[in-house]
Amino acid sequence: MKRWIAVRLKLSDNTAYTALVALRSTGIDVAHVERARLVRAEGVSEAAMIAAVERDEAIFNTHLHEAHVREADHPQAGEIWVWPRDAGGDAWSWQLRDGRGAPLDTATLRRACDALLCNPAIEEARYPA
Amino acid sequence: MLVFPGTNSEEETVRLLRAYAGEAELVHWSRARTLPAYDAYVIAGGFAYEDRIRAGAIAARDAMMEPVIDGAVRGKLVLGICNGAQILLEAGLVPGGSNGRPTAAFTRNAPNGHFICKQVSVKLAVDPQRSAITSSLAPGAVMPAWAAHAEGRLAARAADLAALVDGEHVAFVYARPDGVVDDGATPNGSALRCAGLVNREGNVLAVMPHPERIYPQHSPLFESFVRAVNAP
Repeated sequence: MKRWIAVRLKLSDNTAYTALVALRSTGIDVAHVERARLVRAEGVSEAAMIAAVERDEAIFNTHLHEAHVREADHPQAGEIWVWPRDAGGDAWSWQLRDGRGAPLDTATLRRACDALLCNPAIEEARYPA
Repeated sequence: MLVFPGTNSEEETVRLLRAYAGEAELVHWSRARTLPAYDAYVIAGGFAYEDRIRAGAIAARDAMMEPVIDGAVRGKLVLGICNGAQILLEAGLVPGGSNGRPTAAFTRNAPNGHFICKQVSVKLAVDPQRSAITSSLAPGAVMPAWAAHAEGRLAARAADLAALVDGEHVAFVYARPDGVVDDGATPNGSALRCAGLVNREGNVLAVMPHPERIYPQHSPLFESFVRAVNAP
């Protein structure tokens, strides 16, 4: 079986905060930004896949990170997946919410990508279906 | 000489500018309002804003860049080195013509993304008059520089790479010290063996390897840049 594993910081994510400030400076009404690295894993069970990701010292530090299995193979409401066009880079999930905690609509997500989160020369974005 | 949080090499760069009679000053991010008064801008290497999100992405959208972009549009000379080059591409100033959207990037080295630190040679790949910044260089000039980056590979979509060639935007390519250009001289897998890009108008130049780190050796590029800035 194959699953997407999300690797997130357990402590404050300075990059997500920087993205929040930068997006707000472009006029996008966003109040919360969360970020996770997406890792494609294959294994006999979800636990085995999590364990495999947690053994990869390049992306996982048990003091800093937590990993969980993504149930869906595509972005959820308020979420953007940004992919490198070349092999070998990292894929990232960006979760954007408004001041009430509601996920931003896809049109606003696209604006966020155009403004900051995706460089179309080297990356492509996926949005909620 | 712009200094973002995370900039490095600014002291060496200013030293070299002054060595060629350039009246250069460091301008830290807290003094961004003074930037419009300057005649030209240099953005040095480093890791501005820790390269959060992507190399150069936050700095390119920082208030510090507003007077630089405005000045570039009005013809002021802008030189970006390493992280400064990444910032210029993220800001859409180079190659330009995209309403501020990036159409190319200096990104993760190939094949393995490792940081490299080695002396390289770069060769002028356009007519020196293509850019005021290179106008004092000899045709095909070959210069030493230091490549010190993990994200120095030029990448873009195929159509945009073709446009870089058609528009003569590839100002510098990696070469051997004798001027021979081949893949073996390219340390990072850069498309078109590109080491530096210039915008359409020729007043904004983004160079990935560090020419300032050969100091105290002579730097023809810095000499040419200062000469262009000081030209009447």
